[in-house]
Order: sequence, then structure tokens, then C-alpha cells
Amino acid sequence: MVGTSLRDVREFFTVPAKNSDASEKHPYLKRSTINSRVRKIALLAATIASLVPIGTRAAEVIPPKPDRYFNDYAGVVSKEAALRFNEQLAQFERETSNQLLVVVWQTMPSQSSIEDFTQRTFQAWTVGQKGRNNGAVLFVFIKDRRMRIQPGYGLEGALPDIICDEIIRDGMAPHFRSGDYERGLANGIDLICKAVRGEYKGSGRTTKERGANNVGPLPFLLFLFVMFIFIIAGRSARRRGYRYSSLGGPFIGGWSSGGGGWSSGGGGFSGFSGGGGFSGGGGASGSW
Amino acid sequence: MNKFAIGCGGVLVIVLFLAFVVGLFFWGTYNRLVTLDQNVNKKWGDVQTVYQRRADLIPNLVNTVQGAANFEKSTLVEVTNARASVGRVQLDPNKAPTDAAQLEQFQAAQGQLSNALSRLLVVVERYPELKSNQNFLGLQAQLEGTENRISVERSNFNGTVQDYNTAVRRFPTNMIAGMFGFQSRPFFNAQVGAEKAPAVNFNFGKPAPAASPTGSP
Repeated sequence: MVGTSLRDVREFFTVPAKNSDASEKHPYLKRSTINSRVRKIALLAATIASLVPIGTRAAEVIPPKPDRYFNDYAGVVSKEAALRFNEQLAQFERETSNQLLVVVWQTMPSQSSIEDFTQRTFQAWTVGQKGRNNGAVLFVFIKDRRMRIQPGYGLEGALPDIICDEIIRDGMAPHFRSGDYERGLANGIDLICKAVRGEYKGSGRTTKERGANNVGPLPFLLFLFVMFIFIIAGRSARRRGYRYSSLGGPFIGGWSSGGGGWSSGGGGFSGFSGGGGFSGGGGASGSW
Repeated sequence: MNKFAIGCGGVLVIVLFLAFVVGLFFWGTYNRLVTLDQNVNKKWGDVQTVYQRRADLIPNLVNTVQGAANFEKSTLVEVTNARASVGRVQLDPNKAPTDAAQLEQFQAAQGQLSNALSRLLVVVERYPELKSNQNFLGLQAQLEGTENRISVERSNFNGTVQDYNTAVRRFPTNMIAGMFGFQSRPFFNAQVGAEKAPAVNFNFGKPAPAASPTGSP
């Protein structure tokens, strides 16, 4: 099974030299068409591989996983405060292993209900430690005047719906109503941390600092596979006296720059990296 | 003669090999079906848990609301009756239903309770005394959380049922599924009446915003 498919791929990728057997096998394919097909396939492979880490739901675009704990996309708090919050939440993960995320948007980037959107976003971002799912995300939509605390399965005990509701209603909404987003968020973060502290023990480092692979092995395997095919194709092409470098060069170059993007981050701020993502849909929503 | 024996042996080896391959296929497929089946049952248990959680909230909710001065009796009676009928349609929490009619019945009873509860929450809007009651606000938050959990667990359940049904009905797995009695399972349908837009009633004494206790923003 694997053998035959590999041979097919090899034939497919083999660029025929003059009088080569490949052009005899595919008399309907001119050399230029094969060339362009190789390019197309390479492009397709690259596209597929780059799509893998993003969520699989194509119908609606779930925002990409944030790279820090505190994410103010609406620009309602000062830069210093944002850095302070981020450091506070990173430190919280070091101490307790619980991952708390805060995301502030102007409007909800979805037509769906807030509960549905946050549920799917939580899942896509894999918040919490793997197996524990001890994460929670505070979503705030400034223009919609809506917010929601969504805990994962692992924090349902520490953040029951009533507590989430109280944090929103008494801890945050009054400040938001008077336009003091920074105080409201600071208060909310403190209250959530207080409620959650003691549920789990931390390891002193964040998931990112432990070097956990947040992308998963699939893109890497795909990368290896594509490389493998190129090496085989290159070898067989060379055996037939054909230089392959003009095709292999730019493609491989493009890849390695893509790979750099994954491991970036960590400079200047404490980065977020998840592993859990399972949530039962608990928590509470509120408005102000 | 010798050649014949070698030929027989060769055929025997081939037959044994084929039997081995078929056996391996059976083994793998059967185990996969069992795993998928267990997943469905597990998710069914989760669904039952969240429905039970809602049912458990209701006595407390009814008691709290009853305390409010001259609260509309008919809404409360409706909730209590719906809660009772939910109690009558009990399905085995350890095994997902295989009978579509059974699930339909369960869903109808739960849907009735959902409707009664949402009507209750609408009526409560007319009682400012309740809306500032800490106990009631807590219950309301729990109820909302539970409703959301229900929808999450239902869609999780549907996801596992889909995986299971796909496996059971696809060739060649369907032959083995038929042999060992793996039947396809019914899904949760969309909420009964969800396709109809809710009727909006503006005849309240004063128009109150849905979730802001201090009045209009």
C-alpha cells in the first residue's frame, strides 16, 4: 500500500529528462505541464500544512490563538497595565498551573450567541493544561457591552456559575459602566485568581516555558513527509541526469521561514501556550 | 505425488494467511466499534448529568420565586408540572437510547420544561423585588449556566453519535456491525419550536432591559 503510493508519488514528481521513461509513460504530459503540476502540488502541500494548526471549522473563522495572557484588541487599557496584567496572569500559571486568559474585543467577531462563540473559541485555543483543562477565559466585548467568563472542565468546581456571575455583576460591571475598563479588568482578574487559587499546584513555569509543543506533531510530520518526497524526487531526478535545484530551492526556503514563526514569542512578554481546551459550557455572561 | 503435497501445503498456507488477515480485520473493526459505542454512552451520561442538574435546581427556584409577593401562580404551576413530567421520562443514564421514539419522548419532556422555565424568567422581569434578591440572582445564573451546559453536552453527544453511526453504516464495517448487533443511534434534534421565532410581548408595565438591574444603560 505504502510502497505503491510512494512509487506513484515518485513517478509523479519525477521530471523527465530527455528520452526518459517517464515521458514514455505519460506521453500526454509535456515537460512543462509536469513542472507546473509539481509547483501546484508543492503549493497545495504548503497550504494544507499551514492550515493544520488553525481550527478545523471552516464555516466560521475562530480568532487565532493569542500569544499572551492578556489581550486587549480594543485598546481600552494602557500599555503598562496590559503588560502588568499579562505578567500577573503568567505568574499565576507558574504558581498554580491554572491558565487564565483575558481577551478584550470591540465587538464579537461572530454572528452566533456569545455562549456558543466563547465555547468554540475556548476549545480552539486549548486553554488549560492537557488532561486538567484548568483554564478560564474572560471575554469582553466593549461595544456590545457584553462579557463572559468561561471556565474549562477543570475549573468548574472553583468557578461555579454563581461565582462567575458575581464577579461580573459586582466586581466588573460597575467599573465598566462608569467607563473605567482598567479598574474593572484589574478587579475581575484579581477576583478570578482568588477564586481559582488552591485548586491545582503549579510547577513554577508556564507551559510555554516548559517548551511544550503547542502545535502538535502533525504539521511537523507533514513537513517531514514533504521533505522526504522532495529528497526522493530529487535523487531520482539526479539519477536521470536532471538538475532539480530550481524547483526545490524556493519552496524549501519558504518553509523554513514559516517554521520560524511557530517558535517565535517569549521576548519581552510572557507568552501563552495551552494544551487543554475542553469546557462544558459553564460560567456566566453579563452585560453592563 | 510429492509435488501434489507441496501444492496442497501452499494452498493451505494461503488459506491460513487469508483467514488470519480476515481475523485481524474483524478484531480491529469490532474493537473500534466498541470504543465508539462507549464514547456515545459516555457522552449520553454527560447529557443526563446536566439535565439532572437542571431538574435539581427547580425546587429551590420555585421556593424562591414563590416568596415574592403575589407572584403569578400559573407560571409556577407550569414549571412544577413540567418538572414532574421530566421525572416520568427517565432513560437509562448508562446506555444511550437506540430507539428514536424514546429519545423523542425524552426530548419533548425536557423541551416543555425549557419553555416553562424561559416563560418564568420572562415573568420575573415584572418583579423588581425578585430581581434584586441575591438568592434569585444566584439561581438565575446557575440556570443560565446549566442551559448552556445542556446545549454543549447535547452537541458533544451528537458528535459522538455521528462518528458511531458513520462507522456502523459504512462498508465494510457495516457487515461486522450487523453481525454483532451494533445499531445506529438517534440524534438530538433541534429544540422543538426552535424554528419559530419567539413571540415578543411588549405589554409589560414598563419596558425593562433584559439583564441590567439598574435600568437602561
